[in-house]
Amino acid sequence: MTATALLLSLSGALYPLPAEAAPDRLVIYSGRKEKALKPVVDAFTKQTGIPVDLKVGKTAGLANEIRMEKARPRGDLYISTESGIVEILTKDGLLEPHQSAATKAVADDFKSAAGTWTGISGRARIILYNKNLVPEKDVPRSIFALTDPKWKGQLAIAGTRERTTLAWATALVASKGEAFTRDYLKGLHANGLKILADNTEVWQGVGRGEFAIGLTNSPNYYLSRQNNLPVGVIYPDQDASGWGTPVNPNVAAVIKGAPNPEAARKFIDFVLSPDGQRILVTQDYEIPLVDNADAGAVLPLKSIKRPAVSAERLAELEEATLKLLTSLDPNW
Amino acid sequence: MTQAAPMTLARPAPAASGWFAQAGAIALLAGVGLLILPPLLYLASSAIQAGTLGTLSIGSLAGLALTTLALAALATVWAMLLALPLAWLVVRTDLPFRNVCRWLAVVPLAIPSYIGAMAYIALLGPVGSLNAWLAALTGSHQQWMNIYGFWGGVFVLGLFTYPYIFLLASAALEATNPSVEETARSLGEGPLGVLRRVTLPMLRPSIMAGGLLVFLYALSDFGSLSLLRVHVFTTAIYHQLNTRFDQAAAAMLSFVLVLLTLAVLVGQHALLSRRSYVTITGTARVARPVPLGRWRWPAVLLAGGILGLSVFVPLGVLIAQTGTAGQFLDVLGEQWSFIKNSLALAGAAATLAMIVGFLIAFSAKRATGNTGAALLGTIQMGYAIPGTVLGLSLILLYNTYLPWLYGTAGVLVLAYLIRFLTQSVQGIDAALAGINPHLEEAARSLAASPGAVLRRVLAPLVRPTLFAVWTLVFISAMKELDATLLLRPAGFDTLPVRVYIHTVEAEYGKAGALALLLIAFTALPWLVVTRLRDKKLV
Repeated sequence: MTATALLLSLSGALYPLPAEAAPDRLVIYSGRKEKALKPVVDAFTKQTGIPVDLKVGKTAGLANEIRMEKARPRGDLYISTESGIVEILTKDGLLEPHQSAATKAVADDFKSAAGTWTGISGRARIILYNKNLVPEKDVPRSIFALTDPKWKGQLAIAGTRERTTLAWATALVASKGEAFTRDYLKGLHANGLKILADNTEVWQGVGRGEFAIGLTNSPNYYLSRQNNLPVGVIYPDQDASGWGTPVNPNVAAVIKGAPNPEAARKFIDFVLSPDGQRILVTQDYEIPLVDNADAGAVLPLKSIKRPAVSAERLAELEEATLKLLTSLDPNW
Repeated sequence: MTQAAPMTLARPAPAASGWFAQAGAIALLAGVGLLILPPLLYLASSAIQAGTLGTLSIGSLAGLALTTLALAALATVWAMLLALPLAWLVVRTDLPFRNVCRWLAVVPLAIPSYIGAMAYIALLGPVGSLNAWLAALTGSHQQWMNIYGFWGGVFVLGLFTYPYIFLLASAALEATNPSVEETARSLGEGPLGVLRRVTLPMLRPSIMAGGLLVFLYALSDFGSLSLLRVHVFTTAIYHQLNTRFDQAAAAMLSFVLVLLTLAVLVGQHALLSRRSYVTITGTARVARPVPLGRWRWPAVLLAGGILGLSVFVPLGVLIAQTGTAGQFLDVLGEQWSFIKNSLALAGAAATLAMIVGFLIAFSAKRATGNTGAALLGTIQMGYAIPGTVLGLSLILLYNTYLPWLYGTAGVLVLAYLIRFLTQSVQGIDAALAGINPHLEEAARSLAASPGAVLRRVLAPLVRPTLFAVWTLVFISAMKELDATLLLRPAGFDTLPVRVYIHTVEAEYGKAGALALLLIAFTALPWLVVTRLRDKKLV
């Protein structure tokens, strides 16, 4: 068994096990992309001297983790890609309020009434279309035009494991009512709407021509262009009488009982500072939520017409909306 | 030459010092029980508390069970069809390039099935390369090929799991005494008769053990099936956890999946315990290769086809995705610390699993009553818990009861042990099944201590299997994603986690480069072991 001893000592030499997180480190659980967040994290460490350990995963997966770690929280800051889930965590008493001068600059409908979470950037729901498959004159300007039989078999959307899809459908229920939403979704199903695993499949499917039209989030348009895919974008229902299109916030929240809550608060304030916003939104073409921030290449918040639905209302209706969706098709 | 014949023997009565083995078995049972049972009990209690299936009805649950079992069964059959001819060709015939083939046949295991699925979607998806190429060739935009769905799942899972069967079957082919087959042939059996009536029955424990690994892998796989849009238990569990945010319904579904797996294990046990074969001789003699004659080149074509589909096609797609050599080296430099993390974790898990697995298989065989069966059964259950669910329950259990361990990489090693210990135990158990207990008794009668018997008689006989199972567990641990995503300490990423992150973030060049690195580092120990074996060093 000398080989065994050799192997064991080799594994030991390769990597000494890490010590438990020191209290002066900030631990971030992020459902947001690493690519989008890492530059902000680096700038934060440079400015404050606080080192950061980043754990990137799926928004809901990390929320489950925070729930399981309740007795002895390990993360300081949670970054979610949607507000409904932080409302649930707020109800469970897992988040710590944070209000500061910086959070005041964020519009009211992008932060929690209880102060437990704050929007840090936004993504609008858009219609993404393949320019080779949809001639300019036929491009739909409204999501409600997609029930037209001429789009049969050409539509795609991500299932509700992308929380932004759920938020979009919930916003429909909130402003148009359940009956209307059911009829509309039935119309989409009658048109052969394809429900995919995630938004990446949507923008790539549209970009490569598997589908003519996809319902997805605004950064995916820029991402498709970056990958040289022949796509165009419509911010739907923008005319005077139109519904508008929802903007979903990415949000940050301090975890209750966190080992290092002060660093978490500092990080939120930093992300909302002009520097933080500039770095964050330019990484992934997100929409700044702070009034005076520079939107760069993307359509700024004030140019987007959106339905007026509060985050609390959205969170209340999410469960019912999910039931509605899965009753129409279990693939949602 | 040593004379040998297949013999049917009853399970041996424990030797006089049986109490020693019995005490060891019970101690091991306790240790393994403490490792594996808490997450299972937690799962059962949350399922019972939940008492609901969430948005699922009983009907859809039955449908889900049917799809999942059918998929796993077909994937296993497909994997056997790939593995067995290849194993026989490389071990027993004069197949050209058989040493290269033998090494390459294990490489698909180093390709995580989710990466294999991605590669095949890029190739055979509705807008994949093949459809595009055929459309350009024929001028019609018909969809020729669509990998998405049930059959795509079967195809991909079998393709990237058949080495489980290949490894154990080829190791067993080597360990079984060829003189048995030679005797059969000298008694007038034709080559096919020898295969059907002598070789295959002798390989049965290994084929069953390998097939079980494939079947259980298919039951618990999430990544590739989710990519291929197949709806099975694991994807439904993921949906409950990550969309409905409903841990109770997820626990319920996981519990049903664990019960299904248990049923499969009980069935396998019943099948295996009917017959047993032992070899009397102590040394496994190397067989004289069967000359293929005019079947030489068709055989090369068959082996090449299997290896082409499972190794060269996915690697080719990844290489095309990666870009230039310079970019590849950049990724290597940038992500070296993650490579190190993966190697250390998988190395530690594989070594522990090999040692513990050997002790367990040995004690289980020699223990009286039902202790041995309980031990093996408990370990197999660990494999049945889906990674995501295991991860979540370990967070709760270890963060509450062993907080000093949780938040370190140690918790990952334990999670890998829970998931993969069975691979080691099953493999070694199958190998021990081929060793005559009289050999051990003879050594004992010559006053060898139990430790000496273990070390000097049994260990050398199962040594090829020990290296095989070390490699198996190493490979599985290198690829593990679902539990690692949840349990890794913040800042401590592994290679699969990096592949996952870059894929989700649509950085395909980086993801491709990292996937290639993952495959290379996963396959590395296998290369080393086979080289050593070729030089007769192990």
